[in-house]
Formats: sequence, C-alpha cells, structure tokens
Amino acid sequence: MTGTISSAEPDRVATRRFEVEALPWLDDVYRFALSMTRDESDADDVVQETFLRAYRSWHTFEPGSECRKWLFTICRNVFLRLRERERRRVDYGGDDAQLEALASAQESVGSIAEHADVLSRVDLGPALERAIGELPEVFRSAVVLVDVEGMAYNEAASVLGVPVGTIRSRLFRGRRLLQEALVIFGRDAGLTAQASCEV
Amino acid sequence: MYLTVTQTVAMDCYDVVRQLWDYLDGELTDESMDAIRAHLAQCKQCYPQFDFERTFLEALAATRREHPAPNMVRRKVLAKLRKAGLEV
Ligand SMILES: [Zn+2]
Repeated sequence: MTGTISSAEPDRVATRRFEVEALPWLDDVYRFALSMTRDESDADDVVQETFLRAYRSWHTFEPGSECRKWLFTICRNVFLRLRERERRRVDYGGDDAQLEALASAQESVGSIAEHADVLSRVDLGPALERAIGELPEVFRSAVVLVDVEGMAYNEAASVLGVPVGTIRSRLFRGRRLLQEALVIFGRDAGLTAQASCEV
Repeated sequence: MYLTVTQTVAMDCYDVVRQLWDYLDGELTDESMDAIRAHLAQCKQCYPQFDFERTFLEALAATRREHPAPNMVRRKVLAKLRKAGLEV
C-alpha cells in the first residue's frame, strides 16, 4: 500500500505511517545531526528541517526499507546545505582529495595495540567523544555512521553518497586517528609512564 | 569450492592483521571470515591485536546512547510537523 501526502488533503494512513515509522528516529537523527554540526543550536535547526522535508517527501519513502537510513540521508543533505549557505563552500569539498589520499595511504599494520595497556586505563567514553568531535568531518561522518550508529559499509555509503571503498578508507583512517588521540590522551594523563614501568 | 579452502589455509599473520577491522565489521566473504576466525583461535601473536581492536570498537559503539534529543527539539519538530499537516 502506498499512501501519498503530496495532495492537498493529507492521507491519514500515510500520516499515521510517518508517525509510527519516522518519528521514533528523532533521537538518532538528532545525534547524527549533532555529530556533524557539533553545535546544539545548529543540530536543532538541522533536525527540524530534516523532519519537515521527510514529511513532505514521505511519499518517496519505500515502505519496508530502512527508515533511519532514509532520514539520515535527508539529514546529511540538510547539513551540507546549511554549511554551504554559511561558508559558500563546504569544508568537506576543499581538501577532500588530499584527505582521501591520506586515507588510502594509511594501510600500515597497526602498532597502536602496543598501547593497549595504556588505553585500558583511560576512561574511554569521554576521551573518545572528544576525539570524535575533533576528527576532520570526512572521517567523522564515516566513524559515526558505522561505529556509533552501527551501519554496514554499504548503508553508510548510501547516506554519504560515496562508494563503499571510500567509506572503508575514511573509516579506517578515522579509527586510526582516534586511537592516536587516545594514546596522546593517555600520555597527557600520565598513564604511559605507569605502563612502561610494568613492562 | 575446494580451491577456496586451500587459499584460506594460507592466510598469514600479516593478512589477518590487515583485515582485522573488516573482520570485526563482518564485511568479508564467509570464507575469509572463517579463515580469520580459525587463525585467531590459534595465533598468540594476532589475538591480542584482535582483542584490542574489539575493545576499541566496543568503546566507540558505547558512546552512542549519550545524546537523546532534548525535549525542546522534540517539541519544535512536532510543532513544525503539525503546521505542515501532521496530526500528532
Ligand atoms: Zn597470527
């Protein structure tokens, strides 16, 4: 059954479906918006615009498909437009090629695990949240979608409108940057010294 | 498909470590998943690295719950939708 709300008289069934299928993702959309904007007031605007657009284009949503992914895609586009409006040029575009090259060059086998004992002493939650916030946007969005929101690579690729291979390289580079940030965090907290005493 | 089995047996530590994240994300073929699982079960060198990456990814996933949408945002969204015709 396909309900449409594009006509002047809203279809009650479609409206009801929107309420039941789309609205419950409000927290998720807010969290995703906040991860991109890193500003509560901007996230607020992005979320409102996302749900308004979603409601208006609800007839394009395929019943049975992943509603969260659909909403995230809209949310991402709203965010990019907001950015564009603010800066005329999205920071996402400028050094994109450079960042992408960096990401694919990053195939070295990790030595970060040597710091595993250090990381086990760091209160990972707050340290990670801060480190995620400091990631360049291209890496942050991949990490948030896959690692925080639990999406598969192909779902994240669809939300961000990039090939799966791009998600993979952004994700891996983002994770490595997070691990490096955690090691530095541990070092600043004086944990490295303790760790090396035990070696 | 016996050829695949022969190939997977040949997976060494370098291959395993290189694909740890793909493995943890469940993004490999069934054959590769099996080969890595088997390798990790018996390799003392790779297992700590695997364990570290798993802990790291679990910690990342655990950051998820901490930002419910503020009530104010929820109210604004609902108000906007009502204005657009949603009956909530
Ligand atoms: Zn090994």
